[in-house]
Amino acid sequence: MATQSDMALIQNILQFIGVFVSFSIAYVSYRGVKQTESSSLLRLATAFVFLGFGFLVEGMVGLGQLVPSLPLSTTTIVIGGLLLETTGYFFLAFSHAVDVMLAKRLGAALLVFPVITLSGAQIQDILGILSFYFVLYGVVETGYSYARTRKPDTLLIALGLSLIGVGTFFQWLSLLYQYVGVLSLLQIILQEMGLLILFTPVLRFTVGGVKVNGPI
Amino acid sequence: MAQYRTQVRIIADVLSTARDQNTEGNGVGVTTLLRRGNMSYGRMSKLLSELVGSGLLLELSGEKISKYMISQKGIQFLVAYSSFEEFAQSFGLRL
Repeated sequence: MATQSDMALIQNILQFIGVFVSFSIAYVSYRGVKQTESSSLLRLATAFVFLGFGFLVEGMVGLGQLVPSLPLSTTTIVIGGLLLETTGYFFLAFSHAVDVMLAKRLGAALLVFPVITLSGAQIQDILGILSFYFVLYGVVETGYSYARTRKPDTLLIALGLSLIGVGTFFQWLSLLYQYVGVLSLLQIILQEMGLLILFTPVLRFTVGGVKVNGPI
Repeated sequence: MAQYRTQVRIIADVLSTARDQNTEGNGVGVTTLLRRGNMSYGRMSKLLSELVGSGLLLELSGEKISKYMISQKGIQFLVAYSSFEEFAQSFGLRL
């Protein structure tokens, strides 16, 4: 039977896999921005930079719990990580539909509003719920896009987002019920599975041998 | 539903036409580019001079009219464009 610290270790390892996957997707998207000046890819890169830093912060908080000498495990840092993650999901969801101006405005509101008015636990609840809805929106839009293009990769990404969505739903549930450890682990496993599926288009750039030398 | 083309999409369309329609190897005329590119003459002229200036297209000056041929850099651009377009489409987005 896995102990509490074993589960914490697994959760941390999975968080750092999430960091790697997110920054890889962000890197490929950024290369795309440099070469095509596409605003869609810019929003995608932004989303995964936020997600990557969100996972990194959460992973570091977990590391602080394993190594007590590191003063990292504070509510503020946890909220900071969740806020980064939620902002990432926000950009991911709205990169389908809104223009950059609107995204910036809503993003700013998301950053300021809850911090001023709510307590720490409430902020975590709200961020969990927001993440869930943003991912859900992303699933719907990607599914709609698949209906138009019929590209298998798009369906795969919709599946990946669905797993992340179920993961964030479990994250939300873990705030309400007592099986926090199990639900948190389940949430991270689903989230990482989803992220690994999102990693497949990146593999085409690294394994598939697409070679583009510098900006054109 | 009508979809607006982004600037990069227009460039890719013009370069693709210059590549695909150059069957005889002596370049493609403005008329062909206009017909395939679906834009005004003024806008096309401006775009062509930009593309020639950036080295994506080669201008072959004839006695009466200029013809255009895709450069090696233009071919590289199309490869990059199609890769990133596929990447964006995987996420349900378009460039």
